[in-house]
Amino acid sequence: MQIKERPIPNAVILDLNGDLTYAHRDLFKTAVETLRQKGCRHVILNMADVRFVDSSGLGLLALVSQNFKLNQGKVSMLRPQSYVREILGLANIPKLIPVFDNEQDAVNGKAQAA
Amino acid sequence: MNSNTLSKPAAPPVVATVLLVDDEPVSRLSMAARLKRMGLRVLEAGNGKDGLAILRRERPDLTILDWIMPDMDGPTVCEQVRQDPDILSSQLILMTSQDQPEQIAEGLARGADDFLSKSASKQEILARVQSGLRAASLVRSIESTRDELRDKQGELERELKSAAGYIQSLLPVAGEIAPSIDMAWTYRPSLALGGDLFNVSRWNDQSIYFYILDASGHGVSPALRAASFATFLRPENIRHCITQHDPAAMLVEANRRYPLTEDGNYFTIWIGSFNRVTHQLSYATAGHGGALIQRRDGAIEWLTHPHLPLGFEPESTYELTTLKIEAGDRVILMSDGIYEAPAPTGELWGTTRLETTLMDHRSAPLRETLPALMAEAERWHGSPVFPDDAALLGLEFRL
Repeated sequence: MQIKERPIPNAVILDLNGDLTYAHRDLFKTAVETLRQKGCRHVILNMADVRFVDSSGLGLLALVSQNFKLNQGKVSMLRPQSYVREILGLANIPKLIPVFDNEQDAVNGKAQAA
Repeated sequence: MNSNTLSKPAAPPVVATVLLVDDEPVSRLSMAARLKRMGLRVLEAGNGKDGLAILRRERPDLTILDWIMPDMDGPTVCEQVRQDPDILSSQLILMTSQDQPEQIAEGLARGADDFLSKSASKQEILARVQSGLRAASLVRSIESTRDELRDKQGELERELKSAAGYIQSLLPVAGEIAPSIDMAWTYRPSLALGGDLFNVSRWNDQSIYFYILDASGHGVSPALRAASFATFLRPENIRHCITQHDPAAMLVEANRRYPLTEDGNYFTIWIGSFNRVTHQLSYATAGHGGALIQRRDGAIEWLTHPHLPLGFEPESTYELTTLKIEAGDRVILMSDGIYEAPAPTGELWGTTRLETTLMDHRSAPLRETLPALMAEAERWHGSPVFPDDAALLGLEFRL
């Protein structure tokens, strides 16, 4: 998996490319936790190039969402592919992490929550 | 012994042993004297066969072999050593008066580690012997580490086997678990220890409850967490902590007790409770999608709905769904490892194929249907070892 960090006004987008699975758990966790420790309050996970999320990946999403909430921050997701959207839906992840179809909606979602 | 000293530098220094094999007494005595002056212990043999016997018995740190000897020459001794697993890592130096490149190449090809000319200077002999002893020390150190690793691996495997035996002991005994309710199961953990567990418990004369749980992650840690959770779900503990066997109430308590681990690990679980008087099945699920009912006529209905796994949200509540069980109905709980078994192409077996297989085996006894389902998933996967735990638990209600 490859992760690219892309700051935008009021949020940071992480462009994820590959599979969000057990094998890549450390890379993902480190990337998101680094942002949180730097004081980022809103991270947007761009899921457009994520092909698969396994059970470990679901746990990581829940974990980073919980950790951001502890700092009054939040995590959002952008454009998951249909199969990934189905996996996320079965575990009810969108209840924890809102899913958006474009960056501006994701940023506004944060603004509305604030 | 000297061999131990060479492999463990911290031990007190012990003199290294060199075996000298040469059929010419004068040449052998001269070389032996030189080696002794270097402070080495020297063993001697007058021919290849005796040399090989001493090498096997004494395991010297280094063996110097004359090339030309009657019956068994130096290169032949080298070949024999390399074919014997007990001594094949011995350090061997071939010695000859002819040190042509072709001969050196042949000697090395037949198993020698180094070459020494009979006309070599005292300094060269010293350097080659020391080089051979260094190599011997390294080889012995590697062998000693390898042996330690093998011992530890064996110990670890024995412990895993013992732990697997404990996990196995948590699983239910198949058969008639309550009047007119038959139960069967089959389980294939992906590793020695599985993170999927299931059970059926009698709550009282009227009710039973049963569940399947899946601890995320792989290896020993999820298996231990699963065992802990299974202990929590025992009737005596549930009576003590929750006082009722309502699946939704059990999940609320479990959600409180089992938060996400710091690595993001968690449980998914499906719990059902059946009342033998009202014939009602009530169930709740936390992110576990592996439950279905197959009616007597073969019709299949999945008993699941989207819900967060345990630990994802501290204040989660769980929806309780109730349905009526009819005579001959079967409830089957399964790991996602069954319907997510991938073919060699990567395509998952999927719930549709699983349903077709269940329909095909509806008339067979439950104890035969579950292994048939597992066998079909295995046939699709192309290997008896699935990438994830694969468990199947079935209940048949003969009401």
